[in-house]
Amino acid sequence: MSFNEIKDIIISACKKHGIEEYEVYYTVGEDISAETLKQEVSAFSSGESAKVYFRCLVDGHMGYASSSYFDADELEALVLRAADNAKVIENNDVVVIFKGSESYAKTTAPEPVAIEAAELKKCALDLQKATYAVDSAVVDGTQSIAMSFKNEMYLYNSHGLELSNRVGMSGCYVVSVVNKDGEARDNFEFAENIYSEDAKNLPAKAVKGALDKIGASEIPTGKYNVVIDGAQMRSLLSAFSSAFSAKNALLGMSRLAGKEGQKIAADIVTITDDPMREGCPVQTHFDDEGVATYKKTVVENGVLKTMLYDLTTAIKTGKETTGNGRRGGNIAPYNFGICAGGYTLDELFAKAGNGIYVTGVKGLHAGANPITGDFSVESEGFIIKDGKKAGPIKSFTIAGNFFNMLMEIDSLSNEVKWGIPGGFTVFGSPDVLVKDMSIAGK
Amino acid sequence: MISRILLEDVLAVAMSTGADFAEVYAEKTRNNGIRFLDGKIDTASDDMVSGVGIRAFIGTRTVYATTTDLSRSGLIRCARAVADALGESKASVSINLTERIFPNIHPVKIVPGSTPISTRTDILKEACFAAKERDEKIKQVMGNLSSVDHTILIANSEGLYTTDRHVRTRIAVSAVAVSPDGSDNQSGSASPGRGMGLEMFDFIDPKSIGIKAADQALVNLSADYCPAGQMTVAIENGFGGVIFHEACGHSLEATSVGTGTSQMCGKLGQQIANVKVTAIDDGTIPGAWGSVNIDDEGHPTQRNVLIENGILKSYMIDRLGSRRMGMAMTGNGRRESFMYEPTSRMTNTFIANGPDKNEDIIASIEYGLYAKSMGGGSVNPLTGEFNFGVSEGYIVRNGKICEPVRGASLVGTGSQILMDIDMVGQNLDTAQGMCGSSSGSVPTDVGQPLIRVSKITVGGR
Repeated sequence: MSFNEIKDIIISACKKHGIEEYEVYYTVGEDISAETLKQEVSAFSSGESAKVYFRCLVDGHMGYASSSYFDADELEALVLRAADNAKVIENNDVVVIFKGSESYAKTTAPEPVAIEAAELKKCALDLQKATYAVDSAVVDGTQSIAMSFKNEMYLYNSHGLELSNRVGMSGCYVVSVVNKDGEARDNFEFAENIYSEDAKNLPAKAVKGALDKIGASEIPTGKYNVVIDGAQMRSLLSAFSSAFSAKNALLGMSRLAGKEGQKIAADIVTITDDPMREGCPVQTHFDDEGVATYKKTVVENGVLKTMLYDLTTAIKTGKETTGNGRRGGNIAPYNFGICAGGYTLDELFAKAGNGIYVTGVKGLHAGANPITGDFSVESEGFIIKDGKKAGPIKSFTIAGNFFNMLMEIDSLSNEVKWGIPGGFTVFGSPDVLVKDMSIAGK
Repeated sequence: MISRILLEDVLAVAMSTGADFAEVYAEKTRNNGIRFLDGKIDTASDDMVSGVGIRAFIGTRTVYATTTDLSRSGLIRCARAVADALGESKASVSINLTERIFPNIHPVKIVPGSTPISTRTDILKEACFAAKERDEKIKQVMGNLSSVDHTILIANSEGLYTTDRHVRTRIAVSAVAVSPDGSDNQSGSASPGRGMGLEMFDFIDPKSIGIKAADQALVNLSADYCPAGQMTVAIENGFGGVIFHEACGHSLEATSVGTGTSQMCGKLGQQIANVKVTAIDDGTIPGAWGSVNIDDEGHPTQRNVLIENGILKSYMIDRLGSRRMGMAMTGNGRRESFMYEPTSRMTNTFIANGPDKNEDIIASIEYGLYAKSMGGGSVNPLTGEFNFGVSEGYIVRNGKICEPVRGASLVGTGSQILMDIDMVGQNLDTAQGMCGSSSGSVPTDVGQPLIRVSKITVGGR
């Protein structure tokens, strides 16, 4: 069924059941991936998926329902289920179906292109062979995967607003497994765009990363100066990003509630949210409520300039929406990142003197509390000795409070490391130096 | 859902380029959810998932394709995509499917999605208001009542044609406690679930769930930060079992064992844990959260003793893992939905009761941590390095449980901690989790009695 057919069925169902204000959001996509093991293409997958998300206003309350079963009876049932769901809502929030923004920006990402299955298989296999060739310590279990996806989104609502967007990307990753002196270690590296320079460099990077971890020692529990790799700092930022949601602030579930205009971070910290970051393959010019998106400075030189709003929280607080509304009444950022500072990574090591370089954090879903800001997470990394990176270390945790840590950031490196897009949300950060962090080791 | 005749044709197309096995998995799932926030019902939603996944093997090479187009042409196109990507030879295969009905060991009395929404909002409100009314310091309560009604159909080239329906229900309450001066806030949560309908609330009082969440938030509000370092830790029953799930369970899945990336490769018959440790994965427990009649490859679930008195007895093996490892399937082939190719996953996994009295475990600790309630965790199966969070903990001094501490995590290596579990108590209980891996997020139970770990790194400050 095409979007137009789905839309027409839903429009007549709404008419039939007296539903006047509603919105239809439809996504349709394709994805393919090729996976190798033992220098052979071991698995290949391709998928087509489509889903329709419907919401409607009944007596001032919003009801939601969604389906991937496309048949006329089911689509009518979908409308009725959403209307039923609206009837049990008790909150007094003013909810609206949006009439449309004055203008919408253009996304800068290139038109997504479909990559042939044969190309993906070749990419995965070439990466696999190149990974085995890097070092004789590379062993079976080493995996490389190449993938690509394309998605189209369509939004239609009862005010006649019609918007659409197309996104897509390709990428590849290598999980290298090495065994040296009886010790097995692995390392994961990802590159966007299977034809990029980064993709070509993956095997060497993945193997070096794994080899560097061999022979790790344990460190004593104590306070250390810590340089956190940008890729790990962005994971921490991601774990606590819900604190920037105006909805969570209103509910008393954010340490940033009521702090707009106040200092929440060190002077050197600026955080921006950009739905159309140059070079990001997944961009959007409208949010899930149909509001135009735009780039905003969320934290400027340590001062919280704005929370992230959707229509409901904007109405509730007398502000403007920041175009961060997401399906299901949620709020989320786009390219949300800490801006670069002025130091090289080596200069950060020198400033740290003696300390720890954290290159991996794990278990944030369990070891980080987004409401309180407290975290205590499994980490891996290297010793910093006399201002230089030294040997690997393992089995330790770093602990602190994220919001206190924002205030205590000492310096930032000059390169922002962006993550892998998850939907429209991507996090980024430069490497950061924080002094006197709590480390639990042996 | 799809006729047997059409499935025979679809499988024949999937096999047409030399596959030695093909399978169709079709699914129709209704997910219902109600959210409570800020003293009121905030959102109600429902989602219908419908689609098909087709896969085929040549040896251990696999191809998987999915579609939401359930028409004859849509299914044949999907099967053709599988065949084209898998092989180049030409094979004419005819498939004869014979319907099989497996026994239903998880009967459901009250299918949640068929009840008036008000029945469900009443249960959710009862739980949430119990949390809110527990103490004036409880300033925010969030709750979710969710249910899944999952119908699957599996047909394969070995002639299997079967369907199954699985219903599960879960309630989750989290409470935020705020200090009187507003400077500090802490949270607590409780989230029981069952492979049942709304009759699960005949066994579990909604009020008790809210009270548990509120009490945990209040304890944490009164707690100081946990000190860091290595110590002896007693881990309580229920969700404490996440320690086994992370430290060992994932490393026993064919997903990592079959590709040679597990610390447990080649260790069958060896002493890998303390003699007091017996661990079991059992997908047949009636009405349990991680139970199903058949796995997502059409194989009945079973009770697998993984470790017996410290000796490794069994892995958890799906169909592809069975080919890779040359060992029998164990009923552990699972997936979140048709969007995922199945792989070996845990069901209800727990450490069995041991020889030690619970009071002796606490009394044996001179100085250490009593982890009463655990959060989630994660593991690297290759190295066995794992972590998990402690959501409610207390310092133990001279054999007595003393003041609460907050913000602790535990990290270690699976092979080491299994040996260091040196006391196992007698109050086995299970708790519910959603486990994430390559085949998506699936419901699993974790469990254990109170255990003592002689030495582990506690992350704190």
